[in-house]
This record gives sequence, structure tokens and C-alpha cells, in this order.
Amino acid sequence: MTRTELPSSVLIAGCGIVGAATAFFLARRGVDVTIIDREGPAAAATGAADGAVSVASKRPGPMMVAALSGVALYRQLLAEGVLADLFTPRSTFIIAASDEECTVLEAHGAALSGEGVTVETLGRTALAQRFPALSPSARMGAEVKGDGHAIGYRIVNRLLSTSGVTVRRGVAAKHLIEAANGRIAGIATDKGEFRADAVVIAAGNGAASLLRLDGVMKPRKGQLLVTERAPALNASMPGSIMSGRYLLSKGSQKGGPASGRGYGLVVDPLVTGQFLIGGTREDSDARQTNDFDAVKHILADAVALVPGLADVRLLRAFAGVRTAVVDSLPLVGRWPVHDNLFVAAGFEGDGICLGPVMGQAIAALVCGEQPTLDLSPFTPSRFSACEVAA
Amino acid sequence: MSDNTFLWQGQPIAFTAGESIAAALTAAGIMNFGPDMAGRDTRYFCGIGACQGCLVQVDGRLTESCLTPASAGLQVTNAGGTHG
Amino acid sequence: MAEVIIIGGGPAGLSAAGTLAKAGIASTLLEQRATLGGAIHRQPVGSAKPVSVSTAARHRFERLMQGIATPLVRLRVSTTFLGIDGDGCMLTESRTDGTVAALKADAVILATGAVEKIRPVPGWDLPGVSTAGGLQVMLKETSTPPKGRILLAGNGPLLIALAAQMIRAGNPPLMIVEAGNPLAHPVAAFGLLAHTTLLREATGYTLDVLRSGIPWKRGACLTGITARDDALEATILHADGRTEIVAADRIALHDGIRENDIGLPAARNNGKPIILKAGDCRQALGVFAAVADGERAGSEAASLLRGNKAALTRFERRIDRQVAAQRLLAHIFAPALPLPPLSALPDDCTLCRCEGRTVGDLKALLTVKDGLSGREVKHNGRFAMGSCQGRFCAANTAALMAALRPDVPAPTLRDLTGQRWPVRPVSIAALIGAASNETTNDHEVRS
Repeated sequence: MTRTELPSSVLIAGCGIVGAATAFFLARRGVDVTIIDREGPAAAATGAADGAVSVASKRPGPMMVAALSGVALYRQLLAEGVLADLFTPRSTFIIAASDEECTVLEAHGAALSGEGVTVETLGRTALAQRFPALSPSARMGAEVKGDGHAIGYRIVNRLLSTSGVTVRRGVAAKHLIEAANGRIAGIATDKGEFRADAVVIAAGNGAASLLRLDGVMKPRKGQLLVTERAPALNASMPGSIMSGRYLLSKGSQKGGPASGRGYGLVVDPLVTGQFLIGGTREDSDARQTNDFDAVKHILADAVALVPGLADVRLLRAFAGVRTAVVDSLPLVGRWPVHDNLFVAAGFEGDGICLGPVMGQAIAALVCGEQPTLDLSPFTPSRFSACEVAA
Repeated sequence: MSDNTFLWQGQPIAFTAGESIAAALTAAGIMNFGPDMAGRDTRYFCGIGACQGCLVQVDGRLTESCLTPASAGLQVTNAGGTHG
Repeated sequence: MAEVIIIGGGPAGLSAAGTLAKAGIASTLLEQRATLGGAIHRQPVGSAKPVSVSTAARHRFERLMQGIATPLVRLRVSTTFLGIDGDGCMLTESRTDGTVAALKADAVILATGAVEKIRPVPGWDLPGVSTAGGLQVMLKETSTPPKGRILLAGNGPLLIALAAQMIRAGNPPLMIVEAGNPLAHPVAAFGLLAHTTLLREATGYTLDVLRSGIPWKRGACLTGITARDDALEATILHADGRTEIVAADRIALHDGIRENDIGLPAARNNGKPIILKAGDCRQALGVFAAVADGERAGSEAASLLRGNKAALTRFERRIDRQVAAQRLLAHIFAPALPLPPLSALPDDCTLCRCEGRTVGDLKALLTVKDGLSGREVKHNGRFAMGSCQGRFCAANTAALMAALRPDVPAPTLRDLTGQRWPVRPVSIAALIGAASNETTNDHEVRS
């Protein structure tokens, strides 16, 4: 394949939001796409995400740039009708509840403004008027406008059904098949060999073993909660809330925990009238379990900021295992050693926000074009582990 | 208030000791327990707390009427929190 | 001293507690209602008189109660079970004040019984329509027969048992609509002679129903319910192909039972806690098997806690006998004519009541070329996503998926329901206020 020619076929490993978005944008270009997944669409992190399509928690840098593009693409796909009813534009309110938090929130708001984000800083009285469901303990808020919410598994379903790509469920990738010319011929799986002109690895934690990335990626669990419907409380919330407490620590809101488990509160009013409440960040891959201590901690934080939630019932607890990269930046780009191998994984808690825009960028790369989004900060070649044949 | 009634949507409902709220409402001829939080009618169905279809609010707390014993003076309203 | 928690005060739970006590092991038995007994031995509340039961049934319950009449068995009634968390912690909720507690134990025996299967028909979710078991709960607890014209419809021995109890309580049902024709299987019924008590109870109910002269429509099925004025109208398809409209005040549906195990963890004989299942929640086989299975679980727990080997063969023999009995009953009650397939239901028939999802919604979802998995159907169609967590719709949704896509493997119930606590919705205020990890020793409550 030359750089100006479309590949005749592309094989994608992983049917989370990144794989589905890559498939969608490739199919739009007329490329024949097959996705394989060990389980099925949105079976892992995408199916257990908080759904924030948001720049609110970002600090200036490449992730901020990517998040801004990510949100813009959601708006564009909504306008085009592709994501009709599935992307809900809404503000994110970062809430400060102490002097210390107020100070850092002011600085954070200024930093966001500096990046072109529309931020309105609300003092106690203005905040109480704009957001009456908040507790009086909310001292100050930064309303980050232009954000939105999307349910990961529903986005995947829409991208797949719109593009009509083939999804092979229950196909577990075993290893890459190398061709004689140093290219990748396909993937060997438990259901036989799948071959294609180009291969994209969008398999989250599964990418680590396929690409032999030991030590570069690690699983990071997040526990999340969904409540029953509470239409009146839901309707009274003009956006989602995020506790500003995380600003006091060095990491990002979705960054790694200092110890084994960290908490970052988000409360998102869903279009159904329910609430999605998160969450933990844990160094664990036990995706089947939720524990009482974590659930109680998350709910106590939520009720402290939104007292009305105390009268609502918890419907469901679930957990997702995301893929974290040691330097907190995802791995996105062409694989250094194999010309027709691409990777897009390691988005940790940003997969829903970044999935479509990264899928669009990878689709461009696969088709020999320069993506609009600068992928150089995310290049796999920053790790020596990626310089060897996969 | 009598010591063997609770209020359903503001109206007194008689009950016998130990009876569930659902049983007392049913004995009073009330089959439709009003809208739930999604606006769908609730009603007695499985009797064992499994179907969640008989939700009501008891003194403002959402609960299964089939598993909640009636007691004197309770304020019982429909799960959706609307009156009527 | 080892701590064992038993969830459920029906025959399996009572029998497990009694067996543990006999082995000198203390247990705490949690029951969601105010009285013990479970569905089969449900006791009257307050000053209500018990419904009349057979001598054998009365003796069985007395034996179970004698087994737990020891300080080694602590009772916590009016306490619902919220599930077991990832750390092995049991969460409970008080029915009287709504408070939540977290309990730790060395072993837990889940004896949560069965839930009824309900085949969806248009109107099954209308007010005035309940399960037959639900109607029986009210009858047994209040000793007052449900008022008005009551139609019983569906399949299985519970319908005639309930009818007989209603006759004795003074308000016979208007009609019984039974898909099977149990009187047409004399040879199979002969096989029940090996199960004396079961046969005696079944015969008693059958004779009561036949003597009462109430219409017992065998080989018939209910195909739809509509609300009219202040009553309900049921459409009955009779064995001869004739359709009849019957007006009723209440309708009770029942199409058999299944394990009430949604959200519960798998059994395991190591770790903390050891998790065992007993009775209908392990395999829905009815009361005789539940008593034997409770003994089995109690013996197994005792052995595991003491590190010796349990001799379980004798229990397994008794349970196998009940498997055979249930197989006979299933044969005797097999639908006389094929029931209308789920795929023939009208598009506006509700499948998932909690989320208001219909047959048409599922059909629309399945039109994509790939075979959507159960989990995708749940996520994108909201089936089994509501408050009942799939207890009444997951199996029907899975069955309809299988009928609509015969070439795609049918999803399992677990694909649709997941397996996590809380197993029922719980108040956030109560969860936050819960005491963590209390031990059962500190809070002894006897009813």
C-alpha cells in the first residue's frame, strides 16, 4: 500500500468506542472493515464509563487539545444526525467547598479560559441560584460550558449500526501474524486467522499482551453507580457536577490514585431522569466487583454536594477496568516497526470523550493522510518497548 | 387519627395488625397505586419484593408496599410523588 | 466461633439452620417478612387465623420450627437481603425502619427461594393483575380471601393449590385457565404413587377443585387482558379453538417457578465467606427438595467450617427423588396444545415493565445484521435495566430473542441481568448511614 492509496481491508482488534469509531470513519471512506472482540461491542471499559465528554478536568497540554477536539467532534456528529439523541450538550460545574479549593478552582478556571474554553465563575449566591440542588457547602463553582454527556455503549451501537461494519463477537486475539516484508498480515485468534491490509489495535488492556507492552500499560478500575429516576431533582440540575477536591492533588481528576484507591466525585443527571455517580480509581483489574466501602464513600460525597440524592434509591453498582499508560498519555499512532500496524489504546477515563476523535485520526493515518489532530504527543515511539517488533 | 388507619394520598385506609400496606390498599379496593417515578402505574404483583412494581412512598421514603407493614398514622403516597 | 448467616426463612433456610444447630454451629437467619415459613408455609400476621393446610404440611413446618428453637439460631425477621459485595460483606435492610447494615460471616447459605415465571400477554402489567403467588401471599397472611371475581390463569400445580385454598377461605375463583391437562395423564400420575405426601396434597387440591364445580379450563390459555370500566376482561383461548371473553375483578397469573438468584454470587466452598445455596434458589424443585437441600447445605457448611469431609450422598438421593417427582409433574402439566409463541405477541405488549419496553422495541433492536448479545440488548434496549433488575423480563426477553433469531445462540439470563449487589434498589440515605462490617453477635433479635 502506498501512502496515497486506501487499504482494501482493515482489521480492528477491540470493539470499544475507539475501535468502533475507527471502523465508522474507515467505512465512511469506503474501506472494508472487520472488528474482532473477545466478548462483543462495548464489553469492557466503554460499557462501564461515566460518559463525560468534557474538557473541564483538563489542564493545558496535549490532553486539553485532544479533549477540545473530542467535544467539537461530538457536536459535529450530533449536528450531522449521526449521534442524534445520544450526545447531550450540558455544562460541567466544578464545585469548590473550601478556601483552598476556591483558590485552586479560580486558577483552574483561568487556565481553561486561556485555552478558549467558556468558563463562568459563580460565587456562592450566584451558584445557589444557578444550581439550587447544590448544598450550601458549595462555596464556589466554575461552569464549564460546551461540555456534554454520552453513554459509551450507545455510541458504539450507533457507530456500528450506521456504518454497517462486520463485528465478530467472541473472537479472542492471540498474536499478530508477521508477513515476510516486515508488515503485519493479520491476527491469529482462537477462531482462526484474520488477515487484512492494515491492522488497528484498539483493545484496551488487551493491547498490552498483543503488542508486548509490559510495564507501559496497567489496568485501572473504576466503580460507578446509577440511581433510580428522580425526575424533579434531575430537572433542577443544569449540568453535571465534579468535586473540585481533585484540584488539590497533583494528578488530573481522572489520573492515577496516590495510593491503591482514589476518589473523584462526579454526578451526572441522565436524560432518563436517573443519575450516574462516580467514582473510584483503583489499581485493580477486578471488574466484576463493587465493594460497600467504596459505594458508601462515593454516595456520601455525592450527598454532601447534592443533598436531594439522599432520598433517591441506588439502582445499580458496576465497575469498569480502564487502561492507564504510565505517563498518563494514551498510545495513539503508527507502530514504529510495522508500517501497516496502528494502535489506539490507554485512554483511561477519557475514552468516551476522545474515542471518536482518536478513531477519526487513526482512520486518516491508515488511509495515508495526516490527521487534523496532532498525534505526536501520543506516539508509541516514546516508549522503548514499542521500538521492537510486536 | 384512628389507631388502625394510615393515610393513602390523604385518605384514611384501615388495616389489621401485621398487614402489609399493599394488602390494606387492596382490601380497600385500591388496585392502582398511582404513577411511579417514570410515570408508569404501580400495582401489587409478585408479593415478595422481587418485581418492584408496587412501590409507594411511606413518610417520604420509597419502598415496596408488599414488604412494608402498615402502621398507624403513616403517610403513604404514590411513588411518583404526584397527588391525586 | 464460626459465624454463619442464612438468607431466607423458608423450608430450605429453616432446615439449614436446624441442621447447623444440631451440629453445634450457631447461625443467624434473616427473613424479609415478619414471619417464617416462606412461600409454602407462609404464616398469618397479627391476629389472622392460619389457612387450613394438610396434616403433613403442618407437621413438616412444626419439625422445621422445632429445629430452630435453640439459642444457636438467632432470628432477624423483617430484614431484606441486599446482596454480597466484592469483599464478601452481606448487606441487609430493615423493613421496619429502613436502616442498612453490613454483616461479615465465615459462611453464608443463600436460601432465597423461587420467583414465579410469568408469560407476557397484552395487559399482564395492568393494575388488578398479579402473580398467583402474590395472591397467595395476601391470602395466607391475612386469612381473608381476595374479594371479587378472580380468574387464575397459566400453568402448573400452584393454580389448583391456590384455588383450593380460596375455596376453603370462602371465595372460590371465577375460573381456572390451565394450559396443561393433568387429568389426561393417569399413567404418569400413577408414578406419583412413589411420592406419597406430594400425591396426597395434589389429590386433595384436585378433589377440592372438582367438587367445587368451578370451571377448570384445561388445555386453555389466556391471550390478553384489557381494562374496562372498573374491571378487567380476559381473552381465553379454549382447547377447542373457541375464544371467550371473561370479565373479572382480579387476575392471577402463574407459569411455573424459577430460581430467585438474580444478582447472587456463585457458590464457592472456600474463601470468606464460604457461599452455599439451598432450596429453590439453587434449583427450583419445591418444598420436599428444599428441606433436604437445606440439610445438605447445613451439613456441608458445618464440614467446611470444621475442615472435615461431608457425607452428602444421602441428601443427594433425596433431592434426586424430587427431581424425578418434578419431572413427572412437568409431564402431567405439560401444555396440552402448543402455547402461542412469544414472537406472535403484538408489538405493543410490554416485555419489561420497569423500563416500559415492548415486544416491538425488541424486534426493532434485532433488525441489525449482527447478532446482538444479551448485554447489548440490555444496554441499548434497556431490557432488564430497571428496578426489578430483570427478575420478570430477562427470561422472556431471552426467549423471544431466541425465537426471533433461531440461528444465533440465545443469551443467558446472566447476560441480561448481570451479577452484582445491590440485588434490589436501596435508599442512598440508608446506605450512607449504614454501620460497616458489624458482626451478628452484637445484635441479637428474636421475633
